[in-house]
Formats: sequence, structure tokens, C-alpha cells
Amino acid sequence: MHHAHIDKFAYQDSPVHRLDSRVKLVVVLVFTAVVVSLPRTSLSILACYAVGPFAILVWAGIPLRFTFKQILLVSPFVLVLALSCPLYDRTPAAVAFGPFSWRLTLGWMRCFAILAKFIVTMLALIALVSTTRFSDLLAGLQKLGLPRVLVIQLGFLYRYIFVLIDRAQHILRARAGRKLRNLGLKAELKIAGAMLGSLFIRSIDTAEHIDTAMQARGFDGKWRTLAKLRIRTADCVFASAAAAFIFTLYFFLKPLLQ
Amino acid sequence: MHMANELLSLPVAAGTFAIATAGLGLICRKAGRIISTDKLALMGILGAFVFAGQMVNFQLPGMPGTSGHMVGAVLLTIVLGPHLAAIVMSSVVIVQCLIFQDGGLLALGCNIINMALVPCYIGYFLYRAFTAGRASSLRVYVGTMLACLVSIEAGAILVPVQAALAGVLAVPFSTFLITMVGVHLLVGFVEGMITVAVLGYMRQVRPDIIVDSLPGGARLSRSAVLGTLAAFAIITGAGLSLLASDLPDGLEWSYAERPDQPGFEPAVANADSTIAAVDRFQSKYSPLPDYSVRTSQFGELPHEAAEVSTGWTSFAGVLGSAITMALIWLTARILRKKRSSVA
Repeated sequence: MHHAHIDKFAYQDSPVHRLDSRVKLVVVLVFTAVVVSLPRTSLSILACYAVGPFAILVWAGIPLRFTFKQILLVSPFVLVLALSCPLYDRTPAAVAFGPFSWRLTLGWMRCFAILAKFIVTMLALIALVSTTRFSDLLAGLQKLGLPRVLVIQLGFLYRYIFVLIDRAQHILRARAGRKLRNLGLKAELKIAGAMLGSLFIRSIDTAEHIDTAMQARGFDGKWRTLAKLRIRTADCVFASAAAAFIFTLYFFLKPLLQ
Repeated sequence: MHMANELLSLPVAAGTFAIATAGLGLICRKAGRIISTDKLALMGILGAFVFAGQMVNFQLPGMPGTSGHMVGAVLLTIVLGPHLAAIVMSSVVIVQCLIFQDGGLLALGCNIINMALVPCYIGYFLYRAFTAGRASSLRVYVGTMLACLVSIEAGAILVPVQAALAGVLAVPFSTFLITMVGVHLLVGFVEGMITVAVLGYMRQVRPDIIVDSLPGGARLSRSAVLGTLAAFAIITGAGLSLLASDLPDGLEWSYAERPDQPGFEPAVANADSTIAAVDRFQSKYSPLPDYSVRTSQFGELPHEAAEVSTGWTSFAGVLGSAITMALIWLTARILRKKRSSVA
């Protein structure tokens, strides 16, 4: 397995990593909801909100380069939609920003607002995901009432993603070694179909083996984890600090900045 | 076609979240009764297969540099049946959100509906409708192709509908809709071809998998599905007509939205200082400020007194945030250096 690099930072250790996964999840959810509900035209308040997840990321020791690379990686759809805004809303507007002032259209303002919200909410999501092990997150979700079938499903999925991605890369490398040019649609399709088909069949066979092994060890459909979830003082402090941050900005700084 | 947080408003996010949770909860309860424990591993691994399968790309003709790949919902729904496939695809969407950060946390409800629930059920029904009874290979192919096209289109159409309900974009609804439908026609076509190719391969190598379509064969009653589809069509149609009458074009749309944008930052160009001042006042103190003057004489200089104050506060806000972040970063860096030098 060489592919565990997507959430490798979740396995570090820091005060943030040690917080209860439920608390973190709820805080991030509230944070995202508040940021999304901000008026679409005030960019400066978004900058203030960015401080929170930024502080968490730095505190937890997540490299900023990784964070921004990740944001860039998932941005295309939002980027296209945001950039199409200036094409449709050409109402002129004058913007003043400190010593500078220039003229824009409302479309550009909207574009910037969408992008800024995207970046801020992504910072929060990355701060959650890269400081929480997926198994802890799952245990938290189960405590919060996610159906058992779905929890088991997610657990298996996470366990085998990287195994199967590894297999797919072997197959892809084999094709790259044999196929030196574009063969035309029909042949390409046939090859891809065979690759996917064999991957599918091997997945099913693997599942059978795993199932036999699990039955032999007495799996009865219950998912047991070692993760002990406890709300400690640190969690309470974190939750109240986060709440204070979010709502102070919302009720005191937001009216000021408008 | 992952929906993002920013394209939603809170009511739409909450509504779709509620629908997705209710649907998924219902399916999980139903599936919990059908499936035995030995299907759990299979479902999990097929979810992982969807991820790995999306890496297997192939070149499309006529468009050098572009390549297509499989989405997988229809293949799963054919092999696993709609309930289990819906659970597997939902878990894929959740993992895409939580591990790969694809699609936002608030948009999770939308994404589960668009990419898991709708494609799995529509795809299954169309495939079954064509291959009911004894299925010739032609019927299987046509059914698969149609299932892929329609299920992907249905999911894609929901994206602009949800975005328009939230009213975030300046892009006219019809343009967005046409773009999405056009792009996903291609995606659906590619999906259809690759799914047919995979099914063809598996019919040769392991016909048993396709023929009795693996476990958990939860049969849908035809009338229930027809009813659901009809309800879905009516709701979508009603939604579309509502949007169409509400939003004739992009400009109107941006006007219609004015009231829920209080505190619009830029001062508006207007020669008359009293109008600007009154407007400023109104935008500050009325619950639903309206910006009626903004289309006016742009050629003239903005009213300075009003502009300068807003400009400086927002400047202070951004600058303050930037300085705070820099301080946090520096402190963390210094602390880490100290710790490593001590150790």
C-alpha cells in the first residue's frame, strides 16, 4: 500500500487530534452553516472567519502547502461557476478597500464571494478531516445515530479503498506498458471494459475471502471499535471557544464591517 | 458534478439534508432486514471498487487529451439491486466528502440525492424495464445505455435546480441547465459505453454474476416505482415552472435578490449626495434595504464620504485577519523550533 497519503496527517498527534470526533464534527458543521449564511457581498468578514480554521490547522501541525494543494485539487467545478458570474451580472459597482478604490461589476464581487466562501469552508473541512482518524469519525457518527449498516459500509469502504486503488494502478501500469498509441474508440473501450471487469470480479472474490475469514472469527454483524469516546474538559473548552469565536464574529464584528 | 457549499443557501441545504437522511435511513432499515451479514464485506469492497474504477480511464476519440471514466452507479445497481447500490453509492459520496474533500459538508445531502439515490433507483428501474423476462443481449445493451444516460442526466438536472432554489448564482437558470445537460449527455454516453463493455466482459467470464444479479435481490414493485417516478417528475416540473416564472433572466434575477443582500459593500455611484446619503442610511437601518440606484450614472465619481468609511472598515477587517494568521503561524513555527531543539 503506497496510497495512504490522502489522510496521513490524521495519524499525527496533537491537542487537536486528541479532541472528541463528535465535538469537532458538530463545530465544523455549525461553522460551515454560519459561513454559508453570511451575506454574499461582504468579503472582509470572510477573512475574519478564515482565522479560526487556520489557527486549528497550524496548531495541529498540518502543512499549509498540503492544505492549499488540496483546496486547489477540488476547486474546478466551483471555479467554473464562480468565473461565469462576471459574464452575466455586469452591473457596475465601485469598490473601496482601504486606500484603494476601483471599479468592478457585481458579477466579479459575487465571484470573489463564492470563491472566498469555498476556501473558508474547505479550510474548516480539511481541519476536521486531517485531525481526525476516519475510524474515530465513524465511531462518533455511530454515536450520533448513523444507521449500523451505513457505518459498517463506510468502515469497509475506507479499509479497502487504498488496496483496490493499488490494484487499479497495477492494471493501469500493465496497460501503459503494452499500449503505445491510441487504438481507436472500440478497442480502447474493450480494453477498459476488460480492465474494469477483471477488477470487479477480483473485488467480489476478495469479498468472499474476507467474509469467510470474518465468519471464522465470529463476525455477527456488529461493529466493535476500541475507540473510547469521552467528552472531556478539553472538548468542552474547545467547543465553547469555537462557539465564542463564531458568534462573536457574527453578532459583533459583522455589523461593524458592513 | 459535486455540489459545493457555496452554491446553496441554508434552507436548501437543510431541506436536501433532511430528504437524504430520511431516504437513506429508510433504505438502511429495509436493507437491514434483507441482507445477511455475509453481504456486508461485499458491499464495502464494491464501494472501494467504485473509487478504483474511476481511475481506469480511456481515451475519447476526436478530443485529444480528454479521457473518460466510469461513474459506476448503474453497474452497481444492476449487480446489487437498487437498495444496496444506493447504500454503497451514498457511502462513496460520504467518503469523497470526508476524505477527498470533494463536495462540501453542507452539500452532502444534495450530493447523496443527486449522485446516489436518484441514479441508482432510476437506473435500476430502466434496466429492469428493458430486460424483464428473458433478456436478449440487445435488450441488455439498450437498457444499460438508457439507464446510464437518464440516471446521470436526472442527477445533473437537480444541480442547477438546487442552486437556483438557493439563488446564489448570477448565471441564468436556463444557461446553467443547458450546460449541465449538455455536458452530462456526454458523461452519460461514455458511462453507458463503458458499462456495456464491462457487462459484456463479465458475461463472457463470469455469467453467473450478471444472470442472477448477485445477492440481496430486492425486487421493486413496479407500481411503487412508477408512482415515485411520477411524483418526482411532478415535483421537478413544478419546481422548474416556478423558477421559470420567477426568474425570466439574469438581470431580473439579480434584482429579485437584492433584498437578501444587506450591507452591500461597495458604495454606489451617484452624483446626488443626498440620494447617496439617504441610501446609505436606508441600507444601514432598514431590515430589507433596496438598492435602486446602482444602475445609474457610473461615469461619475462615487460619493466619497460614504465610500471611505466602508472601505476602511473592511480594509481593517481583512488586514487584521491577515496579521492574526501571520502571528499564529509564526508562533507555531517558533514553538516547534524550540521543541525540536530541546529534543
